[in-house]
Amino acid sequence: MQSTYVVTGMTCGHCVAHVTEEVQAVPGVTDVQVTLEGGQMVITSEAPVDFDAVKEAVAEAGEYQVAAA
Amino acid sequence: MSTPVSVRPDARESIVLDVSGMTCASCAARVEKKLGKMDGVSASVNYATNKALVLAPSGMSVDDLIKTVESAGYGASVPEPDAPKPPDPAELLRRRVTVSAILAVPVILLAMIPAIQFPGWQWVSLVLATPVVAWAGWPFHRSAWVNLRHGATTMDTLVSLGTIAAYLQSVYALIWGSAGRIGFTHQIEFRLMRGMAGGAVYFEAAVGIVTFILLGRYFEARARRSAGSALEALLNEGAKQATLLRDGVELLVPADVVKVGDLIVVRPGEKIAADGVIVEGVSAVDNSLITGESVPVDVAPGSNVVGGTVNTTGRLLVQATRVGADTQLAQMARLVEQAQTGKAAVQRLADRVSGIFVPIVIGIAIVTGLVWALTGAGADMAITTGIAVLIIACPCALGLATPTALLVGSGRGAELGILISGPEILESTRLVDTIVLDKTGTLTTGVMSVAEVVPLPGTDAATLRDVVAAAESGSEHPIGRAIAAQGSALVVENFAAVPGRGVTALVGDHSVQAGSLALLEDHGIGIPVALSEAAAAEAAIGRSVVLIAWDGQARGLVSVADTLKPTAAKAVAAYRALGLRPILLSGDSAAAAQHLADQLGITDVVAEVSPAGKVAKIRELQEAGAIVAMVGDGVNDAAALAQADLGIAMGSGTDAAIAASDLTLMGSDPVHAADAIRLSRVTLGRIKGNLFWAFAYNVAAIPIAAAGLLNPMIASAAMAFSSVFVVSNSLRLRRFQPLP
Repeated sequence: MQSTYVVTGMTCGHCVAHVTEEVQAVPGVTDVQVTLEGGQMVITSEAPVDFDAVKEAVAEAGEYQVAAA
Repeated sequence: MSTPVSVRPDARESIVLDVSGMTCASCAARVEKKLGKMDGVSASVNYATNKALVLAPSGMSVDDLIKTVESAGYGASVPEPDAPKPPDPAELLRRRVTVSAILAVPVILLAMIPAIQFPGWQWVSLVLATPVVAWAGWPFHRSAWVNLRHGATTMDTLVSLGTIAAYLQSVYALIWGSAGRIGFTHQIEFRLMRGMAGGAVYFEAAVGIVTFILLGRYFEARARRSAGSALEALLNEGAKQATLLRDGVELLVPADVVKVGDLIVVRPGEKIAADGVIVEGVSAVDNSLITGESVPVDVAPGSNVVGGTVNTTGRLLVQATRVGADTQLAQMARLVEQAQTGKAAVQRLADRVSGIFVPIVIGIAIVTGLVWALTGAGADMAITTGIAVLIIACPCALGLATPTALLVGSGRGAELGILISGPEILESTRLVDTIVLDKTGTLTTGVMSVAEVVPLPGTDAATLRDVVAAAESGSEHPIGRAIAAQGSALVVENFAAVPGRGVTALVGDHSVQAGSLALLEDHGIGIPVALSEAAAAEAAIGRSVVLIAWDGQARGLVSVADTLKPTAAKAVAAYRALGLRPILLSGDSAAAAQHLADQLGITDVVAEVSPAGKVAKIRELQEAGAIVAMVGDGVNDAAALAQADLGIAMGSGTDAAIAASDLTLMGSDPVHAADAIRLSRVTLGRIKGNLFWAFAYNVAAIPIAAAGLLNPMIASAAMAFSSVFVVSNSLRLRRFQPLP
């Protein structure tokens, strides 16, 4: 299944890489696609992923916020 | 160290890392976070300067920190203390000159002394001359080619053309002419023999020109002081270190890790590490670095301060508002950079002459060839005479004309305490007609001293002076120290400084107040009209006034001002005698500048100008057609010194001013600036004379070459005579005398 979020605060390719790296590490996530423009993040997973875990991962990546799209 | 060091568990050391690969502020936050996750580590990363300040438990390896940064996707390294220096251009030239000279000497001797022309000597000359013309002369050929593509001809064109012509002509004579015959020798006499072109070799002319001109270039490179970067010097004026206050702990860190919002502790005598606003503390800040103003400015919480300025008396807590490239100091560095890059390189005199001379010579060569061809002399004769014109036209002495004069001129200058950073500046200073003078540190000593003692009726001046000197003896404020420097034998007790107002003390049995109007009013002391009028009069000429009262009554005032240098008036007179128009350009107050100008008889005064304003003023003068020399010493003068046609720095001044200037005067006597301008004028006169004679001998020989009568003896004689003349003319510069 796929779920879409919006990440704010990303300013360059590095930011995308950081967010991708951290969210990738969330248990259950099989794929993450983050776009810099618009901040869209699409998470692919077997089972629904806990939003708090995603939130924590994004915060871990840097000064970013995430919201459900 | 053999003593065991006990490590407190909470002992942390600060480490600075260079971080690479950060493209935005988020990257810095990311690196901070990654480092912060390590045990006991806290980090702050400055995106603008690519530096990370890491607080790590003592003993933690730097490699671990670097690995952590790398795992975050960035590079990290321990900052290199200094970059290696690029090779010295004079050293590269020296190699070329040496090789060239070793090969050239036998070639020249062989050509000029027929007695030693052993069989086959001309072929040996060919072998020796080839590397000289091809390798040693390569810079000339390359530059000639580059210039040719822009349609320009310079001295290099002349050198390249002359050497290649002489070389190819000689090769031609060896192979197709009669000169290749074993047993061939040159004629001894200066006979004019037609048709010698095909039967003579000019290797000595080719190698002679290359060697002499390289030698000239080498002299010039030697004479050039390693100029150093004005930019670097300017940035070095900034604080190297800062004491950060973080979580109540003071931390000494390199200044470039300071971030906006950081709290910096600045103790008396320290430089402020960043532009900021004072949060705590009262002091006076010496702003002379930025403004040139000699009186320190009193500051209190809420005051803005500029990075690089010096805190004089009290401890300050400053919150950084601008760091790195945004600070005023960095802006000044950019100003210097712009002024330096905007300054068009002065075209070398020899190049200017060559620019006209070369096309004419080529024209003469072509016409000569055509005339010979049309009069039926045959292609061989036509080409060889044309080439002979090119060979003789390139004066060896041309290469020595400018460099020898510059070398001797700058050498004499060094003896007299005038250091020339780029000797070629001496070529362009004859026309200087305006001299712009900085005030503080140039015409004044920059040291405050007591200017006037004004007692009120009933008090005598000597008593007033003694009492106030005693009262101020404990003062740390620069004005107080200037007054205390007078010395006093009186006994002082109960000294107290009232920040921003003045001091109070018990001198003998008198309770003394010395300071501002406000201080006296605080003590309920009435100010007589005579005193406030005297104070206003002193303030109007830019002096700082200290009012004095004791035993509840106002007694008088002393005023403090920057001290005029003893030779300032003489210097201004000397500038005028040279036909220069003096202009005072000061960052200090209009009152102080005007008063000084009046004392020296300077009528043009521009005051209260920022460093950018100084540059603008000089540019304005230049646009109005003036050729401007600028004399200054401060960081705030650096950009103006770079902008001026001739920047003269006081040796007692800042490194930034020295690096941005063309000339540096040892010591601090402004009269030396007049000597510097005189020396440069004389040197330029010699250069022009040299260029004339360098060309004259060869020009005189052109008709001989055009007539087909050139032989190697005439070529060598022209070379020798003009070289000797040029060198001896330059050596006369040693007799230059400074103003008494």
